[in-house]
Amino acid sequence: MNLFRSEEHVRRRHSEHPAGATIGVVQLAELARAWWGDRVAPDWQPHTREQNQAILDAVGLSGQFWRLP
Amino acid sequence: MEAADLELRNLTYHLFVELGRAPTVEEVAARSGATSEAVRSGWSRLHEAHALVLAPTGELRMANPFSAVPTAHRVRIADRSWYANCAWDAFGVCASLHADGTIETSCPDCGEPIVVEVRDGKPDDETLVFHSVVPATQWWDDIVFT
Repeated sequence: MNLFRSEEHVRRRHSEHPAGATIGVVQLAELARAWWGDRVAPDWQPHTREQNQAILDAVGLSGQFWRLP
Repeated sequence: MEAADLELRNLTYHLFVELGRAPTVEEVAARSGATSEAVRSGWSRLHEAHALVLAPTGELRMANPFSAVPTAHRVRIADRSWYANCAWDAFGVCASLHADGTIETSCPDCGEPIVVEVRDGKPDDETLVFHSVVPATQWWDDIVFT
């Protein structure tokens, strides 16, 4: 899970194994805020699978690639 | 998750933030008043619950988004820094601490350094992209690889 200069850099890096998903860094930052925002809170509780899936869905990551088990 | 394990987990995270690195079993034991064996047992249960990740040695490997070992993703906040497990986690360090920061990494393709300033949770360079190879169904099959 890495940052790249651009999608062209992703394609070049993964040309032999083109699987995976690419999103913009703004969307990533939004995902991080929702996913990790409570991680060191003193009242932290484990997220359920449904809560985590809702976070992914809420930031627009709703395809099969982002479907939690 | 049992209340005692939740307390252990929260103390572990608290010390990770406070120290700027992963706490040892002994440091957690000393702070909590528990025995080292009790900490190891608790960490093992938390590892099974995916609440943190242990190395084969039993020491901490990840307290996501923080990494216990140096990685290609470093986050500086004020005069402190932590390693993150991946680019997503690097943003997660800022998000979890609710702080502005600087992410230092590099492009895996060209190797050029990438420095991202995070202000109010948002990156200053919006042209960058994030790539994940592993689908969500398999993230925890090998979380270190993911």
